[in-house]
Amino acid sequence: MKYVLCTILFCIGFCSMLHSQTDSITALREVYLVAYQLKDSTYTRNVTVVKDSVLKQNQASLTNFLNFNSTVYFKENGLGMVSSPSFRGTTASQTAVLWNGININSQTTGQTDFNTINTRGYNKIEIKPGGSSVADGSGAIGGAINLVNELGFNKGFHNELFANYGEFNTYGIDYQTNYSSKKFSMLLGMARNASDNDYSYPETDRININGQYHNTNISFAAASKLNTNNTLKLFANVYDGRRNFSVPTPNALKTKYTDFNTRSLIEWQSDFRRFKSNLKVATTTEEYRYFANVNNDYYTYGKVTSFIAKYGLDFALSNKMLLTTGVNYTHNDGRGSDIAAETRNLSAALVSFKHVLSERFLYELGLRQETNEEYGNPLLYSAGFSTKLNDFYQLKVNTSKNFRIPTYNDLYWQGVGNEDLRPEESYQGEVSNNFNFKNLNIAVTGYYNYVENLLRWVPDSAGIFRPENTNKVEIYGLESVVTFQKSFGNHQFTGSGTFAYTVSQNKETGKQLIYVPYYKFTFSVGYNYKRLSAYYQYLNNDEVFTTTDHATEHILDSYMVANLGAEYTLGKNRNYKIGAQALNFWNESYESVLKRPMPGRNFNLYLHLKF
Amino acid sequence: MKRNFYKLTSLFVLSLLIMTSCTSDDRDDPTTELPLTGDYTDGIFILNEGGFGYSNASVSFLDQTGEVYNSIYTNVNAMGLGDTAQSMGFNGENAYVVVNNSATVEVVNRYTFEYIATVSDLLINPRYIEFSGNKGYITDWGDPNDVNDDYVAVLNLDTNLVETKIPVAEGPEKILLNNGKLYVTHKGGYGYGNTISVIDIASQSVQSSIPVADVPDDMVIYNGSLYVICSGKASWTGEETLAKLFKINLSNTNEITTLDFSSGQHPRFLDLANENLYYTLDNDVYTISIADFQLPQDSTFSPSADGVAILYAFEIYENTIYIADAKDYVSNGDALLYSLNGDLQNQFSVQIIPNAFYFNNL
Repeated sequence: MKYVLCTILFCIGFCSMLHSQTDSITALREVYLVAYQLKDSTYTRNVTVVKDSVLKQNQASLTNFLNFNSTVYFKENGLGMVSSPSFRGTTASQTAVLWNGININSQTTGQTDFNTINTRGYNKIEIKPGGSSVADGSGAIGGAINLVNELGFNKGFHNELFANYGEFNTYGIDYQTNYSSKKFSMLLGMARNASDNDYSYPETDRININGQYHNTNISFAAASKLNTNNTLKLFANVYDGRRNFSVPTPNALKTKYTDFNTRSLIEWQSDFRRFKSNLKVATTTEEYRYFANVNNDYYTYGKVTSFIAKYGLDFALSNKMLLTTGVNYTHNDGRGSDIAAETRNLSAALVSFKHVLSERFLYELGLRQETNEEYGNPLLYSAGFSTKLNDFYQLKVNTSKNFRIPTYNDLYWQGVGNEDLRPEESYQGEVSNNFNFKNLNIAVTGYYNYVENLLRWVPDSAGIFRPENTNKVEIYGLESVVTFQKSFGNHQFTGSGTFAYTVSQNKETGKQLIYVPYYKFTFSVGYNYKRLSAYYQYLNNDEVFTTTDHATEHILDSYMVANLGAEYTLGKNRNYKIGAQALNFWNESYESVLKRPMPGRNFNLYLHLKF
Repeated sequence: MKRNFYKLTSLFVLSLLIMTSCTSDDRDDPTTELPLTGDYTDGIFILNEGGFGYSNASVSFLDQTGEVYNSIYTNVNAMGLGDTAQSMGFNGENAYVVVNNSATVEVVNRYTFEYIATVSDLLINPRYIEFSGNKGYITDWGDPNDVNDDYVAVLNLDTNLVETKIPVAEGPEKILLNNGKLYVTHKGGYGYGNTISVIDIASQSVQSSIPVADVPDDMVIYNGSLYVICSGKASWTGEETLAKLFKINLSNTNEITTLDFSSGQHPRFLDLANENLYYTLDNDVYTISIADFQLPQDSTFSPSADGVAILYAFEIYENTIYIADAKDYVSNGDALLYSLNGDLQNQFSVQIIPNAFYFNNL
């Protein structure tokens, strides 16, 4: 009976997955029932799933990957420097980054610096636009990015080595080894990326001074099928990164920043006839150190250790009805040079219900009760339906209430932290129209999002910045994801594009938020002929306001960047690939943050071996 | 099949060509022309420090006709001024702009604003500049992590090179010349200071240190006395202290009169006009008669009533009070001109975070 339900969910889920770009055609048609059914709104909202082969064609930073392959807008303080996202017009801390389902946004800043995530450590990335706090908790307001280590079974022993080298002494080495038998599977990956990053600023005689970085990521995952009903999984990740922050002006004092993050997770899955149970227990540590002078050992730091437990129980009421219940518990223990040592405990209970009414119609409801008095015990919800109106058209409607709790910095920053802050609340709704043709998939989503109690640091009358629940923000927009594939004999074409139109207004002033473009547009096309492939990625960001008064002289210009790459497959078993890329192919002179120029055209080579 | 392929390929190539040319940076930014006089004589420079780390410091100019010209440094020299312009000083034909986070002093002609030189060697965290003879004296906080490396840099104005450093206590801020001596308030840099250094120019060394209250900042000299406003430590420091106004007899620095502010009050700026001292507290302006030397009960006037959100600059020149509003730090600020009794006479928009006014040969 469970299988029947799964099959139906599979079928409906099928159309919700839109693949990004130049993957092979078969992969484009591949179907995933996302990690676990407990996940909220999997069926009434669109999710983009990107697999390993596509990840490899992109640069290693999560910033670069998402910039070219999603509607997420990035504000990058120069290449490889601090990078913050705006997903659907929201602020940087309103995008949840999940690691195998565990939220890893910094507890101190509330956000993830997307240049401290090395995509080489993961073989699958899910991009989920829209609020998903019912499933993913605090911070999942604009959207969520899930970094996944996927494990297969019965595939034997495999190794992969990926190496790239490019201008500015930029290199990356990524080695992964996999072993799986019928009942056991494991994966170990090690990746290192580094660059002198001393590119010249286009159209000037300046170079990027003090921008060098290196980072190492080690990931481990293992799964064991204990018996027919039970599977035990183990995940671990260590990230160790060091960046010097490039100087804004040549004579400025040089600074540096280090990150050290660890994550570990044990997951126990049990499958019975009508029940499915899932227990996750995780610990994470995050630590940053900021050196205000590179040549001095003195630093300021922040460190948070977290313990997270999630339990979920799925119960199939019939072959068309699934009830899910769950409890979550999070314990944070933080301290730092500027924050008081504090612990906090968060817990939540959730329940959701999915019902397949007919082959063409499904609805789902979810509720999450946070039980934290300091934050007013918010009750979150999500509700939606999905209907397949004909062979090629599917309609999805979803509404949800989401939230984000104040961060350690907001609450406990020495002298100015404010323990009376309330969480941000977001009420949103969206309508997705999915058109699926033989060679073409088009998804068009319109959404509305109303955010209250926006947490911001604003200056008081003495000019001192303090965290406050400030404005209401009204966001609405349109986003579209298109994928395309077509073959003519040995010639294969693939293409994908994303388009976003975003209005994100401060309700008090009626003005668009700073660093939120009205338009963002990306596309990539791939061409494959026998052993040869070529691909082209394109990104176009609209101009953004950098001041709240929208003064025209401070507007940051729109820009486009394109990358061109080609690769050739060698070896009898097509096991080896060599490739070359021209990044910023048109040599555009652009800035993603005011006065922080990005590099002009530059080249790199890569090698990908499977053995 | 083949034809389709060529069609598709050409479509692809065509679209690439289109895609490359659809960004625009040809917006009409406001342009600045030269004032009628042809240069920047007889007018007021307004220094806009810009956002820390954003390299968008700029200089605005208000000419005698009331016309405002923004970003004059960039317009004249076709380059940016730098990151966080802290202050400016005039000497002879030159103006010296101290650019804090760029760790430079930009030397320009004070009338044409044409670039002359950049002082960068031996500067780390420069704050304010004062002049004596052919030397400039620049207060500098040094390495933010080191409380013992703060100094006053001695700039040779002929070579535009820093000749030597005079080591001083942590956080040297304002610097004022009087009778062969330099008075330096130790606001405290990354900590909190509570002294004034007296530097003897002849020996280029610290002669004495006058203890005052916490966070001394603005000072003025009148009739042989040095008046210093000490803001005290604010409540967010966790160890709040009282603000005080000091009157120090310069011929006998042990002779000190002090006015104590109420707890919780943290005044900021201090200036002088017509035998009165003017200070600011919570965006309001207060007056003290030098003769009485008593703290007033009520404010003289309230710029916050005119919408001033963050009173970020305060100067008095020829019976006009010049105030700048930094707004929310992320939009263009305003300059407001008041009569001494608080009548708003003029208000205009300048650039990001205006922090001071400098009066050029009015």
